[in-house]
Amino acid sequence: VSYVERNRRVWTEKNVREAETAARLWLRKPHWGIWNIPEAELHALPDVAGKDVIDLGCGTGYWSAWLARMGARPVAVDVADARLETVRSLQKEYRLDFPLICANAEEVPLPDGSFDVAFSEYGASIWCDPYKWIPEAARLLRSGGELVFLRNSTLAMLCFPEHDAPALTELQRDYFGLHRVEYPLIDEGVEFHLGYGDWIRLLRGNGFEVLDLIEIRAPEDAEGVKYNMVDADWARRWPSEEIWKARKRPDDGG
Amino acid sequence: MSSSEYPDYVPRNVAVWTKSNVEHTGPRARDAWAQDEITWGVFSIPESQFGVLDDVAGRDVVELGCGTAYFAAWLAKRGARPVGVDPTPAQLATAREMQAEFGLEFPLVEAAAENVPLPDASFDLALSEYGASIWADPYRWIPEAARLLRPGGRLVFMRNSTLVILCQPLEPPALEQLVRPQRGLHRLEWSDTHEVEFHLGHGDWIDVLRENGFEIERLVELYAPDDAETHSFYNYVTADWARKWPPEEIWVARKA
Repeated sequence: VSYVERNRRVWTEKNVREAETAARLWLRKPHWGIWNIPEAELHALPDVAGKDVIDLGCGTGYWSAWLARMGARPVAVDVADARLETVRSLQKEYRLDFPLICANAEEVPLPDGSFDVAFSEYGASIWCDPYKWIPEAARLLRSGGELVFLRNSTLAMLCFPEHDAPALTELQRDYFGLHRVEYPLIDEGVEFHLGYGDWIRLLRGNGFEVLDLIEIRAPEDAEGVKYNMVDADWARRWPSEEIWKARKRPDDGG
Repeated sequence: MSSSEYPDYVPRNVAVWTKSNVEHTGPRARDAWAQDEITWGVFSIPESQFGVLDDVAGRDVVELGCGTAYFAAWLAKRGARPVGVDPTPAQLATAREMQAEFGLEFPLVEAAAENVPLPDASFDLALSEYGASIWADPYRWIPEAARLLRPGGRLVFMRNSTLVILCQPLEPPALEQLVRPQRGLHRLEWSDTHEVEFHLGHGDWIDVLRENGFEIERLVELYAPDDAETHSFYNYVTADWARKWPPEEIWVARKA
């Protein structure tokens, strides 16, 4: 079974409980990651008003909803149809319409150069192979378009144990050879993670200029463990998540 | 800025390097100068594996924190026109002896990389290998490197990886555990030698480079080869650790 199918199954199953939280998420202001850092504080996005934005691995579509409210024209892509069903019902509930496409973000059935911004928050950014989805994002973007994605920090990846428990301080995994990551003791999901040098090489190799890397720190008042992934105390000392920003270079066509 | 006006950490680091010149870098300078191959870092990885330097023939190169100037010598042998900059007189004295011995002359300037008495836009390549790259404040030396470079010029520097710094206890070698927060990482003082180093996380490096007009081209993370052994003098990391995680990294950036 391919990792695409395995991830589709994992997310179809998770959708049952996430459908409830999705309704609340749709109403909130745009914020990033497990520590809910407001976009108004991070300014990770370019001005999206009037822009065509593709959300690669949209899940329950809350970021696409926020982007739509910010004046963007989002198109939401996800590999799990169950997730898109949740999005459809929320679109009706909140009267917010935008196109939904059931597809693997590594092969999106849309024309070249049709977006100003390619976006992913815990979507393609960790569940797709970067050697496939980054070229696909480059293809979908117009010349000068921006790519913005949030993922677990590589440092956190080095510190996650194999069982379902938060990041440790002891290194659990080698940096060398980091790419496909599985947690057989937890579920059948397959994640993809690279080191910093490999991210830069891959982005540049696909015609992107690296604009920024925002390493997210948990707020002072954050407490406890989020999603059984990271303790707030850990995430105040080390970045648990990071946002990459890159721009498709104009001289590379598109 | 005269030497008495340097930031407080410069004289402290000069003292450390004066001592190191007696114990290690001075005695080792002849072998380093005699080496034909360009190698990087404590595990001597050949430059030919990465090709970060391109062709240096005919290029004006400034080495920021050159020490005994072996790296500048390697570049001079390949036809570059290097200028070595270092704040430690003892290290430059060794470099001068080697220049005479090897018949390889190039200018040596006694100065800290935070304030180099050389004109704007006079170099094609600014280089630092365990020099300014860790012993100078990046918020001071990166702008200075940008000033010294011509448009389109390259900045290449090697430093310890952020990861190895996070895993570094007060006594070497690095542990397989995070012992130091990344939060607030910038100025680091080692209690044994009193030297002052500067280290940033990846996001902060990208910020300081971009704010100074650099485009990020590459980040090469170094590993210890399979047959490598732990370095006898630079023992902050074991070869075993360095086979799993990068102890060192080379940043390559281009001035727009």
